[in-house]
Amino acid sequence: MSENSRALKLAEANQKLAHKRRNAKEKWGIVLDTSKCIDCKACTVACKMENYVPVGFYNYRIWVAEDTHYANYPTISRSFQPSQCQQCENPPCVHVCPTHASYKTADGVVMVDADKCILCKYCMTACPYDARYESHTTEAIDKCTFCYQRREEGRDPACVETCPPKVRVFGDLNDPNSEVYKLLAENEYTVLKPGKGTKPKLKYIK
Amino acid sequence: ASEHGKQSKESGSKTVPSACAICVNKCSLFADVKDGVIHKLNPNHNFFKSRSMLCARGNVGAKVPYSPDRLKKPLIRTGKRGEGKWKEVSWDEAYDYIIENVIKLINKYDNRSSIAFASTEGLQEEFFRHLTSVVGSTNSVRHPTLCLASNIQGYSSVYGTLPDADIANAKFVVMAGSNRAEAFITPDTIDLAKKHKEQTFVYLDPRATKSAALADKWFPIKPGTDMAVVLAMINVIISEELYDKEFVNKYTHGFDQLKEHVKENTPEWAEKESEIPADEIRWMARKFAENAPASVWYPGRRSSFTANDVYYRRACAILNAIVGAWDRKGGLIPKSGISLKSHEFIFPLYDRVKNRIDGGKVNFAADILPEYIKSNKGMPKDEVAYLSEADGSWVLFRDAILKQKPYPVKGMFVYKQNPVESVPNRSKTLEMLKSMEFICTIDIQMSDTAWYSDVVLPESTYLERWDPAHSLGGVAPVVIFRKPVIDPLFDTKSMKDITVDLTERFLKKEEFWVDAWEEDKAYMRDYVKTFKGVPMSHIIEHQLSDYPGAYKMLMEKGCFYKTDKIPYGKTLKEGARLKTKTGKIELASVRYPEAGLHALPVYQKPSEAPQGKYRFVVGRHAQFTQANTQNVPYLLEAYGHYTNMLWIHPKSALKQGLNDGDYAIVKSSVGEQKVKVHVTEYTRPDTVFYLHGFGRLSKWLTNVYKVGASDAEILEDYAETISGNALLHETFVEIKKA
Repeated sequence: MSENSRALKLAEANQKLAHKRRNAKEKWGIVLDTSKCIDCKACTVACKMENYVPVGFYNYRIWVAEDTHYANYPTISRSFQPSQCQQCENPPCVHVCPTHASYKTADGVVMVDADKCILCKYCMTACPYDARYESHTTEAIDKCTFCYQRREEGRDPACVETCPPKVRVFGDLNDPNSEVYKLLAENEYTVLKPGKGTKPKLKYIK
Repeated sequence: ASEHGKQSKESGSKTVPSACAICVNKCSLFADVKDGVIHKLNPNHNFFKSRSMLCARGNVGAKVPYSPDRLKKPLIRTGKRGEGKWKEVSWDEAYDYIIENVIKLINKYDNRSSIAFASTEGLQEEFFRHLTSVVGSTNSVRHPTLCLASNIQGYSSVYGTLPDADIANAKFVVMAGSNRAEAFITPDTIDLAKKHKEQTFVYLDPRATKSAALADKWFPIKPGTDMAVVLAMINVIISEELYDKEFVNKYTHGFDQLKEHVKENTPEWAEKESEIPADEIRWMARKFAENAPASVWYPGRRSSFTANDVYYRRACAILNAIVGAWDRKGGLIPKSGISLKSHEFIFPLYDRVKNRIDGGKVNFAADILPEYIKSNKGMPKDEVAYLSEADGSWVLFRDAILKQKPYPVKGMFVYKQNPVESVPNRSKTLEMLKSMEFICTIDIQMSDTAWYSDVVLPESTYLERWDPAHSLGGVAPVVIFRKPVIDPLFDTKSMKDITVDLTERFLKKEEFWVDAWEEDKAYMRDYVKTFKGVPMSHIIEHQLSDYPGAYKMLMEKGCFYKTDKIPYGKTLKEGARLKTKTGKIELASVRYPEAGLHALPVYQKPSEAPQGKYRFVVGRHAQFTQANTQNVPYLLEAYGHYTNMLWIHPKSALKQGLNDGDYAIVKSSVGEQKVKVHVTEYTRPDTVFYLHGFGRLSKWLTNVYKVGASDAEILEDYAETISGNALLHETFVEIKKA
């Protein structure tokens, strides 16, 4: 089986799984402490492997950006900011989609139904985070799914699981016993582009 | 097998425990296999040494067996060396060719040591070393003198061992040149990234690497002066009486000599050398003492910097000792291991064997020293003082082969190592290969060294084979192993199988045994019997037989350990002795003066860059393991540039008339390379850098063949003569617009 057909099979399986989990009560999110990030790209590579995102094209579900706060030798300050789809509670990509290909699962994960996608790219324009790409394998717009295929086994998304310093913590934002809930209770945090009103479920510890 | 390898008949999903082999860390992993194809490699959460991670390189391992650039069948050269003309042959044909050539060389030179064996570390390396013993050569050369030999020597002269650092519990960490954010060592890299908010991390490096992003303070130290900073810190700690008096009295030797020795090494003096402000050095010293024993001057590496590297590493070890940051929580911790049972083999004692070509007195040993240090009394001129018999000294070894002194070495086996790209002065390595009458390389890809070989044997990748159990030494030891995640895709074998097959064939050749004893053949028949047709799982069971339940734990959990707790203070117990001459921590060495070396670390001012030239430094990147993974498309993509680039400071770029994105010629006394220019504030104006592993010569490394620039090509081939370690920061280069 080719890499392309594996990618298609995964996309289909995730649609079925989303349907199966239509009564799920969780609200999945990720809390990030980016100060630990060393830009090693374990997350981006793991994501490509897990989700059959092809190499060599300008496509990706997650990324690591560099912030150079100042660089005037010998005074340097730099840090790294890993990111991905913000899994917005109020997702503009879903609102603009004319065919309802983009949708939110019961547990709050924004996904794309490849069958319904007509590649109009409205969603790519609407997304304030540049988190979507055109996939040549599914011939649809694709994006981070929080590795939805791992929900049944309760495993962390590939980026979370593989990260060396554990920059990301994944969990149920509704569950007071979850690590993500506790982290948010104990730390000040922010979201990306709060002014857009998208209510991201990726929370960045300050 | 087709171009894409054998199609698997398996269906369904399975999870297989094994261990990574992309770098030295050997992180335990679980492979997700779907319908006989590796889908994903995931971290093993039982494996505490990696802190439950698998890095970018570990992740791409999933694609390694499927690389179109893999070696798929044994190859024999048909054209000229390096021309790239090969014929695919059967294993039998390849073996016959090897056996014939080995016997020819031994007879021609009447010397088994006329065949050299070069290898690098890995779980199958022991089988390559068995092959060395079967052939009977004394000339083995391994990676340490391109890596950490000077570090091992320096720390061992003080503590009798090279310790690890308890980064997870350290409160004050200084790293000088050890770019742990990009050169991954488990668990240190991960602990540093995780804990940096709770600890003070000071980073000394001519470049603002990704480690600088984690640092509380980054000092762009003048290269080669690190030891001045260490001596000044010792000076402050002693003169302000901040040292741990009780510890020093009880556990160390030579404190008074040390005190006298560092008298002149004030922070003001060190500022002039290192360009780090005296007040900052004083602050570092005070904080180092204040946080002790949870203080670490990190015992990291990046090979050797400059010619006094062993003395420098000694100074680092001494600094930690005087504040009592040894074998206590948060300090330096002696490594421990889990001892495994092994088969003891008796290898033949042949007559036609000579001593190591780089061992004992070598009258041209001084030639490997840089000019400015030749008058230094503490550097041996006629030998490598502490040459490892197993490892040799790569730079001296190659010179000895080229000079044919004291005898000719004309054959070579290379396993997994790639001296063409890893030993400084590439032209000289090529000259050495040219002087060989026979070269056999064993690898999974067509390395540059394989490209210049006569016969190339394809090894099965680490995901297609069994490897014996192996104890990873460290602050808390753990055992890993490998089992096949998939069946071999191509006509490949493990190093174990290759050694056993060759030994079996040597046994059939009477002329191979003329200088052996009759028992030797029987011993070698036993050797073959130990491995031939015996499943590796049985061998692993035997290795672990001292520990009830260990085999089961290894197979199920992917690793075996007794405890994940660090056993602090074993060497501080009443009656404990270190492996030094006095049994104590030797601030002043007892052995060194006997060998004509300094008892204490003597600072040597590094040479200044000649007018118009820049010091070239080397370094690592988180996507690349030595010269092994540059050809992997996923890693090139993650790295982001697809080629390496010359880091040059804006002021220096202006001086050379270079703009970002231009091409420049970088020229040293041994070679030159053309490389794209990256103008950056992240480096000292007097220092330039480009990444290792690009500008390759093997056409079968399709993504990096002649892409970017090779550092091996321009690095001058100096080494120091205490441990024999190559010196990677002693090269000055001219830079011109291309």
